[in-house]
Amino acid sequence: MLDVGSEANFLSTQTMPNTDWISNLERSIPSDTKVACQLIREFVAQMQDAGWNEASIFAVHMALEESIMNAIKHGNESDPEKFVQIEARFSVDRFEAEIVDEGLGFEPSEVADPTLDENLELTSGRGVMLIREFMDEVEYLDGGRRIRMTKRVVDER
Amino acid sequence: MSDNGFQCIHVENIDDVSVVRFADDKVMDPARIEQLGGELLRLSESQSEPRVVINFSDVKFFSSAAINKLIVLEKKVRAKGGRMRLTNLRPEVRDLFGFTQLDSLFQIYDQQAEAVVELTTK
Repeated sequence: MLDVGSEANFLSTQTMPNTDWISNLERSIPSDTKVACQLIREFVAQMQDAGWNEASIFAVHMALEESIMNAIKHGNESDPEKFVQIEARFSVDRFEAEIVDEGLGFEPSEVADPTLDENLELTSGRGVMLIREFMDEVEYLDGGRRIRMTKRVVDER
Repeated sequence: MSDNGFQCIHVENIDDVSVVRFADDKVMDPARIEQLGGELLRLSESQSEPRVVINFSDVKFFSSAAINKLIVLEKKVRAKGGRMRLTNLRPEVRDLFGFTQLDSLFQIYDQQAEAVVELTTK
């Protein structure tokens, strides 16, 4: 298990301590995209069962998918010896998550802006931007190895 | 319906336009996305000036990795003098193309029928 220090309990101790979580996932998974996909599918299915609307589920799905895949591929460089720590939880109207990898970290502001004309045809680099677009709050810590994000349910269109 | 051994896509030919639908409603599994990319390229390579409509009506989730395969396909179709259109995107998926500004790279239509007509009449 990765030593994540005192910040490991950030979500449970500093945000919404009295929230009634419908699902509260804490898992450490190997750098295996198949395992990650299954985990995300199950989490999203729970949101569906709990009555979250399609637009909100899509946003959560996008953020989990992109952050965990980034952690596996870019953070841990798909090294099967390295793990990704996942905390994800939701209540009736709030989602929050924290994803930690064991890689070298990165500087989010240095990721090329994929929306610029000259970058539109690039086939990588959209994950960081999509997470920011679909989440309400996003924070990178520990040199980019740790991402925290939150989202409130949005109105159905 | 002529699927040519495709597993990730269903292809229907309407007035010489290849109308593509996705077999999965959530396009996210990396191995499956790789396969999808290969099938889309194979489809484009089978035509001299490909005219392709991608109908998203069954798609509930589409990852950035899957978008990358569409970008590769779009480049291929353009290089061969063909044209490609996306249709029937649900609002969340449409947002995805808007946030990424990819709605300026891809031509997006509300309905499949109008895209097919546009590709067959111009």
